[in-house]
Amino acid sequence: MPEFDVLVIGGGASGLRAAIAAKEAGASVGLISKAHPLRTHTGLIQGGLNAPLDPDDSPESFAADTMQAGDGLCDSEAVKTFAGEAARDVLWLERAGTPFNRDAQGKLAFRAFGSNSRNRSVFADDRTGHMALQVLYEQLQRARVTAFEEWYVTSLVIEDGACTGALALGLRSGSLEAFSARAVILATGGLGRLYAPSTGSVGTTGDGQSLAYQAGAGLVDMEFVQFHPMIFPAGPGLLITEATLGEGAQLVDAKGAAVDTRGLPRHQLALATQSSNGDSAKIDLRPIGAANIMTRFPQTHELVKAMSGLDVTQEAIPVRPAAHRPMGGIETNASGETSIRGLFAAGECASNGVHGASRMAGNTLTEALVFGRRAGEAAASHARLESRKSVSQSRLGDEENRIQGITGENTSGDTPGKLHAELTALMDQQVGLVRDAAGLDAAIGKIRGLKDRYSRIKIGATTRVFNYGLTGYFEVGAMLTCAELIAVSARQRTETRGAHRRSDFPAKDDANWSAHTTARLVDGSPAVEKKPITAA
Amino acid sequence: MEVTFNAYRREPGEAEYRRGVYKLDLPEDATIMDGMLKIRDEEDPNFAFRGSCLRGYCGDCMMSINGKNTFACTAKVANFMNRPEIALRPIRMVPVIKDLVFDWDAFMWNKIKVLNPWIEPQESTDGVRTVPDKVMADLRNAMSCYYCGLCDEGCTVLPVDMKFLGPAALTKAYRLAADPRDKNPGEHLKMAQQAEGIWDCVHCYEASEHCPRNIGPTERIVQLRDMAFEKGITNERVARHHTSFAASVKASGWLDEARLAIESEGLTNISGLMKLLPIAARAAIKGKAPIPYLHHKRPGAKRITEIFEKGDERGK
Repeated sequence: MPEFDVLVIGGGASGLRAAIAAKEAGASVGLISKAHPLRTHTGLIQGGLNAPLDPDDSPESFAADTMQAGDGLCDSEAVKTFAGEAARDVLWLERAGTPFNRDAQGKLAFRAFGSNSRNRSVFADDRTGHMALQVLYEQLQRARVTAFEEWYVTSLVIEDGACTGALALGLRSGSLEAFSARAVILATGGLGRLYAPSTGSVGTTGDGQSLAYQAGAGLVDMEFVQFHPMIFPAGPGLLITEATLGEGAQLVDAKGAAVDTRGLPRHQLALATQSSNGDSAKIDLRPIGAANIMTRFPQTHELVKAMSGLDVTQEAIPVRPAAHRPMGGIETNASGETSIRGLFAAGECASNGVHGASRMAGNTLTEALVFGRRAGEAAASHARLESRKSVSQSRLGDEENRIQGITGENTSGDTPGKLHAELTALMDQQVGLVRDAAGLDAAIGKIRGLKDRYSRIKIGATTRVFNYGLTGYFEVGAMLTCAELIAVSARQRTETRGAHRRSDFPAKDDANWSAHTTARLVDGSPAVEKKPITAA
Repeated sequence: MEVTFNAYRREPGEAEYRRGVYKLDLPEDATIMDGMLKIRDEEDPNFAFRGSCLRGYCGDCMMSINGKNTFACTAKVANFMNRPEIALRPIRMVPVIKDLVFDWDAFMWNKIKVLNPWIEPQESTDGVRTVPDKVMADLRNAMSCYYCGLCDEGCTVLPVDMKFLGPAALTKAYRLAADPRDKNPGEHLKMAQQAEGIWDCVHCYEASEHCPRNIGPTERIVQLRDMAFEKGITNERVARHHTSFAASVKASGWLDEARLAIESEGLTNISGLMKLLPIAARAAIKGKAPIPYLHHKRPGAKRITEIFEKGDERGK
């Protein structure tokens, strides 16, 4: 049975950074990732990552911009930590080998990005995430972290109120294993696949949020799901980076009017790109110039062409808003601690108040670095004080029985894929960019109906080796859990703020809603409470 | 649109594969990945294939579609309707685990791992080292590799020697060796010139032909060889062969084969040199090695020497 001081679940940027930090702090570290780390969603990040590195910039200015985008819901202490430590973490990534673009003097170049009040994003063409991910994975290997690639975590182990490990299915071996740990870090990423189209890769199914919720942790601000304003509607949805706007691209709304995008946070940009009477908004990259497109946005050019045959150097392309990333998630403090002893969370699956109601472009990867490192360090410290408890054989046996119970002949008439398709349709229509009470009530009813049908599905597995039908079953379960949490939290928040827009409550309501929502599992269903914002 | 997929199916451990035939109704703009997900979602949860980004970012779903190696997620079904059934197969040479899932570890990841694939960061925390963007742009090009494996698939050395590191791993070696921020510069050159490394490439340029991102894996291997020579890392059989070849032609205007054989093995490599003796004996018996062995300069050798000297001068 594998045993570690710190077990990290998730092979994207936050998980890799957390594992490296925990190892450097002296802990023995294992990392479990359901996909190979180089295939995780971090690789899809394009535009850049923010840090106040320019001598004229300051953490205070960066913090102020982040708070402004967060629309009154950021925790100022978390933002202060974030803005104060961003520079050192981004420099760490640079020294470790990320080939960020340089200016004419050979110094780091800064790009205009999103609602940053100044050029603050370092970048590697439009493949920033792909480059950063490679460097993080290189450093993971340098740190000699034990990686379990292509393993799927089915449950956390909670004993006497503390997290003592996880149970995971090896895709290659097909066997279920217990991983014991003094501290566990969830870094499983987002939940884009609740929606279609979305910007999410196959694995963004809210696994960590669901695992933590089932284990009894609080999930905060789940109603806030950011829609990215510029999704080219080909295939599952192809994100056109906002960085193109900073370098001269012109956005035209569905009525044909040019949009002044300067300083607009994402939730407002997303409203500007909604379709109108069947017409689409369009993004025109041609003002950037063909040569600059090819050197600064080569991937955008390549992928639009691959997915549709269109050439962004020759014509404007249609765009629409689509689900991008959650601001809410597993409730943590700035050290990644959750409400469960020994359980930590970082990155997109977590929420420590740094993004508030809307996240500023360029903050995702910086967040992964800063809070991934902090969670890794905190988990290593925690592990030093925690005695080792091995996961019991009976717990492993119970999980084996649970999996046996869902395998067999499927007579339900449903499949996980069918439920997933129905889920994305209702999330788009009723829990999407604009919501109201009637739609949310209907959605909650439908989601519960889907959960009921889900409980009757069985998977006719011939083998567990690379059985994505089986892991897909668990993923759809996680998505249904997250969908219900988003819908009930959105029903509760009777105001419009940041990424949460209620057509029946179109104004911001500071008197009642300068507060987070926290959802917990109580007697089998989610109970949502208000939680005050940490005072400034 | 009505289509039929004919997919490679094989259970773990079974020697025989079968063909899974699936009739599908797909939208006109569907991708092959859409069709495969539909099979898994609605017909057979046991149908195994990899896929992650869904949009051409990551390289995970590379496979052979009607004989063309490409990504299932960007391949439009409509472009493969020239046959009654669309054939989905693993790419050639990969060890299959189940259905279209193959062993990336054996095919590529393990070959990268042996290179110690990381740079040793400088400890200094005072700001950022100034580097021309030209250098970084070159790294960005090499690092735009999404590990799809198509260069290895096209490699002409791997089919005869699966231990060869291959162009994908060697492109990674280039990215590491060319990074000016490494605290231990030269370490990755030593790694890359190990047995089965840069010297085993036959520069057929198939890797560069196959690379969908125009990274030029073959050119990267040639660059690594040049860097190795510049750093004086030349004590390897193929490197000695190159050096001896050039020195022989420079000195005499043509190749001194005995010298080439001996110097390629290495003058201190006793066991290697011993192995040459039977070859020399057989050559002598068959009259192919004149005894005594004397290597003459060819007519005009002086001019050839001058060409080399001019080249050396320019190279400085």
